[in-house]
Amino acid sequence: MSALPERSATGGIVLGAILIGVGGLLLGLQVDANGAWCGTGLAPLAIGALLALGAIAVRVGSSTGRMPRDDVGIAAVVAGFFGLTFAIGGALAPGGPWMFFEVLLLVAVVTLRKADARTGRWIAPSALGLLAVFLLFRLWISYQGSQLRWQVMSVDVPVVSWIPFDFLDPVKHVALGSFTPLEMGFPPAGLDFALSTTLWALGFAACVAGMMLVQSSTIEHENDRIHALIRTLPPSVADVVERLLPEDEWRELGLHGLPERRLARRIESAVAERVRRQDALRRALEQSKMLGNSADADGFSADIRRALTGEDPKDGVR
Amino acid sequence: MEKRTIAGLAAAATLVVAAIGARMLPAPRVIVAEDVVEEGPRIVEPMQFLGKGAALRAPELDEWIAAERKPRFKALRDLAFHVADCPETVEWIDSAEGQRLERLLGELRGGTREEAFASLVLVFQLARATTWKPGFLSQAREANAERMASLLADWLRARGESGARDPLLAEPARAAILVYGRLMRTAQQSPRIGENAGSYQRGLKTIEELVGIDSGRRTALGESLQGRHPEALRKLVGDADRLRGFDDEARTLFPDLSGECDG
Repeated sequence: MSALPERSATGGIVLGAILIGVGGLLLGLQVDANGAWCGTGLAPLAIGALLALGAIAVRVGSSTGRMPRDDVGIAAVVAGFFGLTFAIGGALAPGGPWMFFEVLLLVAVVTLRKADARTGRWIAPSALGLLAVFLLFRLWISYQGSQLRWQVMSVDVPVVSWIPFDFLDPVKHVALGSFTPLEMGFPPAGLDFALSTTLWALGFAACVAGMMLVQSSTIEHENDRIHALIRTLPPSVADVVERLLPEDEWRELGLHGLPERRLARRIESAVAERVRRQDALRRALEQSKMLGNSADADGFSADIRRALTGEDPKDGVR
Repeated sequence: MEKRTIAGLAAAATLVVAAIGARMLPAPRVIVAEDVVEEGPRIVEPMQFLGKGAALRAPELDEWIAAERKPRFKALRDLAFHVADCPETVEWIDSAEGQRLERLLGELRGGTREEAFASLVLVFQLARATTWKPGFLSQAREANAERMASLLADWLRARGESGARDPLLAEPARAAILVYGRLMRTAQQSPRIGENAGSYQRGLKTIEELVGIDSGRRTALGESLQGRHPEALRKLVGDADRLRGFDDEARTLFPDLSGECDG
């Protein structure tokens, strides 16, 4: 038995929000070569906020998205917005054409992508993976910049690069993906690569963990709200309703995010639909029993018949 | 909402505000030491003392030397600025006058900043007045450049880091490390066939320590060097011939420091 009390959905949202705040703080700082602390600038954050806002708008406007219905739900959406804002702002290249290329990709993969109706997660693992790749790219170009190499990579030109004449220097290497210190947003004294990238990596991890926690806790919180409404029914009726509408299906049934009045109507219609289906099934089952005994049949047909009537399989395999 | 939830969300909100505020923290400006104008009497335009026309202003240094060292300084300064026939560096330093000068340089390095500067002026003069570049028939091919470089390395270790923040010594310190790189590259290329890897590695190690590449955190001298001679540092970290940037910059700054007294 665990000594820790069970974490409530609200607790998860609060913890996730705190993680997002800590992550955002770490992603907003860098350390210069003299050991002085300074900010990473507002431009990537502004772009992150814009994309996150777009992502939330698309999800709220989609068929699977709904508005938060209480203070905790609102807090979860705000936390999710800042989580995505900080994660994008921290992972984007700080400036220049690279940043805009990344923005285009993010618009396609994160902003315009609808939430997963089955899981309810509005940030897919693939989007987080893409952000992680962008972060790695940013760390790489920061490393290159901290080594005073202002390109993504330099490729030696075969043969020419082996000739030991200084005048051939300009044609010995081909620089791929060049950038400038200004685009990188480095402090004037240069970047303490090790410390800054540790901060960014930790910040990104905290933001992602916070977002995941907020997302799963928000789903749990919505389920708690629906459960609380069902439990206002007499206990025996509530038990039947919860058997007819299992918790796993509440999101797919579109119960999440509905106001209480509409939620009650939706549950009512879903229950009616399920009962109708059960009745139809029962009638079909009774008809199949009239068609004959499965004991004198063989093969797949007999197995199915036995399964429908709840008999044990002939060979004992269930 | 429970009080605990409200407290938690308030903490998260505070962190978010702090995260946005942190991004606005300005980066500290790099103040170039030599741009600071000092009050009171001072040595103006210190780089003139390291250039070709140093002899014209060298006597001005006498007034900055402590009384107990002044007579020796004047005598040895006079000697250094009148070295004749371009002797080999090692040969001259190993002479009686050379040894006296070397002892004085050690004393001056540990003295006031003006004395430290005066010692650097004498080292530069020695580099200008003696031969440290090997000729075709030279025997001790790398010894002269190595010996001259060691005088600069001693000065840089003693005063380079503090000097980089000093309005008087900042530019001379940069000049000293560039010339040090040039001397060590000369020592590296001294053998008639091949290269002297020992000189190369020694030079690299010293420069890396002085500019802070090794530790991942740049020193004040490295910082100052990056501000004014970024190409030298770029080649130091990213070129196959890592001392070349220092050599090139030193040649540009001091074309008369040829190692053959022909400037």
